[in-house]
Amino acid sequence: MREFVVDALLAAGWVLTAHVALFHLVTLLLVLAGARRVWHNRHWRGVEGHDETFASPLTPAVSILVPAHDEEAGILDTLSAALGQKYPALEVVLVDDGSTDRTFALVAERYALREVTPRPTADLPVDGAILSVHRATTGDPLLVIRKDSVGRRSDALNAALNHARHPLVCMVDADSLLENEALLQVSRPFVEDPDNVVAAGGVIRAANGALTDRGTMVEPRLSRRWVVRVQVIEYLRSFLLGRTGWADAQALLIISGAFGLFRRDVVLEVGGMDPNSLAEDAELVVTIQEHLRRQRRPHRVVFVPQTVCWTEVPESWQVLGRQRKRWSHGLGQLLWKHRRMIGNPRYGPIGVLALPFFLLFELLGPVIEVVGVAAVVTSMALGLVEPAVAGAVLVLAVALGVLLSATAIAVEELTYHRYGRGRDLLGLMGAAVVEHLWFRWVHSWYRLRGLAAALARRSPVWTAMPRVGFSGDAAPAGLLVPAERPVPADRLVRAAS
Amino acid sequence: MTVVPGPVLLAGTGVTGLVVLLLLSVGGAHLARRRRERRDASRRAELTPLIYSLLDGEQTTRSLADAPAVLDDVVLHLLPQLRGSDRQVLRDLLVSRGVVDRAAEQVSARAPWRRGRAAMLLGATGSTRYTPDLVTLLGDRSPDVRSAATRALGKAGDVAAVPHLLAALTAVRPVPSGIVGMALLDVGTAALPALRAALDSGAAPARALSAGLLGLHGDLPATAALTAALDDPGAPTDVRRAAAGALGRIGAPQAGDALSRATVLATDPALRSAAAEALGRIGDPECVPALAAGMSASDLRVRTACADALASITPEGRDRLRVLGALDGPAAPAARAALDAVSSGIRRPLAGAH
Repeated sequence: MREFVVDALLAAGWVLTAHVALFHLVTLLLVLAGARRVWHNRHWRGVEGHDETFASPLTPAVSILVPAHDEEAGILDTLSAALGQKYPALEVVLVDDGSTDRTFALVAERYALREVTPRPTADLPVDGAILSVHRATTGDPLLVIRKDSVGRRSDALNAALNHARHPLVCMVDADSLLENEALLQVSRPFVEDPDNVVAAGGVIRAANGALTDRGTMVEPRLSRRWVVRVQVIEYLRSFLLGRTGWADAQALLIISGAFGLFRRDVVLEVGGMDPNSLAEDAELVVTIQEHLRRQRRPHRVVFVPQTVCWTEVPESWQVLGRQRKRWSHGLGQLLWKHRRMIGNPRYGPIGVLALPFFLLFELLGPVIEVVGVAAVVTSMALGLVEPAVAGAVLVLAVALGVLLSATAIAVEELTYHRYGRGRDLLGLMGAAVVEHLWFRWVHSWYRLRGLAAALARRSPVWTAMPRVGFSGDAAPAGLLVPAERPVPADRLVRAAS
Repeated sequence: MTVVPGPVLLAGTGVTGLVVLLLLSVGGAHLARRRRERRDASRRAELTPLIYSLLDGEQTTRSLADAPAVLDDVVLHLLPQLRGSDRQVLRDLLVSRGVVDRAAEQVSARAPWRRGRAAMLLGATGSTRYTPDLVTLLGDRSPDVRSAATRALGKAGDVAAVPHLLAALTAVRPVPSGIVGMALLDVGTAALPALRAALDSGAAPARALSAGLLGLHGDLPATAALTAALDDPGAPTDVRRAAAGALGRIGAPQAGDALSRATVLATDPALRSAAAEALGRIGDPECVPALAAGMSASDLRVRTACADALASITPEGRDRLRVLGALDGPAAPAARAALDAVSSGIRRPLAGAH
């Protein structure tokens, strides 16, 4: 028996080592592929033809869909940014999804809303009852739908899709700020290749700590909170490089729900958003690709790394934990639902590259890491492994992780360099190290809990994130307000579970 | 796991060293970039007034021949924003500084971005001298270069390039239709004869694109060909849909019968919707019965498009909507919503409201 336990502990240690090495190797390849593309794009800067896209009568109109639940802190800024997009033809469809705060009241006051007869353009199933539909009378192309909340973002998005009028739909979170030309940049692939491009995503960056003014990003700054800083690094690595790399391999699995542009007819064709998914953004992208691959229709899902949407990221461990648990739960749902695609060459790079990667490293990774670390610690306690050996492996694992993050920082600095201040760059470098010393392990624990929830087939539960907002209402005109403010205790929303 | 992992230690040290080196390089690059940006900004601030004085005739191109290279960036930034003699002055400046000749050499450079940027620059000069080079680049192995060459041909405005642009849609190394479409629009009305010819006898993608562009140009002489394309049940749906949209943009009442038939009888809901929208644009009261018939379609999109079209035909269409709105059935909600949209008194979106 003792021999079996010893063998099991040592095997777990080796599996952990192999997993860490393989994960870093694959991620490094992905990051390098993304870096290559971003670097390559840099040569074309200034000749992308955005002005031509703006002026072209061929540029399709866009409906920006904004689902909002208790978003009074930032909804006016988000709408300001969406309605102020440099784009020839757009409308904004805001869904007030059962807000209990002043979200609707603020919007109604600012845009002088007037109730109108609902004018659906599609009939996707929506569970929450539509209470009323309103239109701005200020001249802004804004439609507001009030509905009962059923606790699912996908339901609100389906309601918005039913009322959107334009051929492209852009899904934006209600706590996000689109940069002025974001829509123009992300729509460019649709303008250039309207027959094949079905979805496009852009980079999401953390707005916490930045200077904003009524929906406009004035100066990106790094938050002083380490929990935010490590997320900035994580987003840089994941969005700027990881997704660019996946898109280059034609295996992009996720377009963030915070900012994604889709062909409306294709979204309707696949039945809109999955009402039961906790990762409805990834679910939509995978479903679309599965559907089109099955029908052998040519299609492209692209990523536009220069396009930026700024969003609030969690500022506390509690909220971050809930978010990551939900993501992991959603990923588990997604992989189970599309299990036939995993490893299946019929689905191209998505089937043979992206889905196996997400299964092995994103979903099962936390299991291997948590069990492996426990096994190594136990082995050390039992004298089976010398601390020096375990320490050397740990140092290598941390160093490889930091190398990935440092590469992301280097690419950011050499290409887009959004953070102009030297102290922000130093903060990013510090976060690159800190992330792999403890954030990563805590993160694994959150993801493990999400996986457990998925395995237990618990009912999907959307949890609201406390919002800080981008700027204060009390700010006098012209005064720039740092977005980072303490969250009032009474606005901390507990998980509905 | 009990053996001291020398290679692991070695690898760990190596990777750590690499990380330190990378972070130091990032810091150095950050400082260098800030210095460079300050220097470039200062140079631009000095050179921009010189360019304006050149445009005002107070300077000659010869006097700016030896200015720093950043001048070319400023000129290339300004070039697409100018027209007429001002544009010609800047083109002459680029020629005199050897920028155009260098770009012509770069057309065969090894790096795709060099070929692409060279193509864009040659196109921006508006000269037809480089059309053959740019046409050659339409078959480049890099999709980015093909796209750049397509745009450049549009900017150059050489009508001789139109057949090549249309052929690029279905070439072995194709150019996406949106880019070709923008380039053909840039060429202007000179491209219309070639577009009409492509509508009659081109490949399906060229026919669909030509139909759309003819509509955008409001090309009345193409009405008959567009009507024939719409009426042709053997034509690809994309072509028929594009033809329907074009007829609506042209506003040709003589296409009313064909569009009415498509609205009522076609099987593709997207084609029916496009035909209904076109009828709404034309606004001919004769088409009200067809649109009213379309209101009983099972597809919501068709009903909505027919309702919107009826709402735009006054007073006959709106009267019919009032009747339909008062009845039971699937047409009623769409009819009421369309009437509400046009009678709400909502102001139209204001340009620059934000």
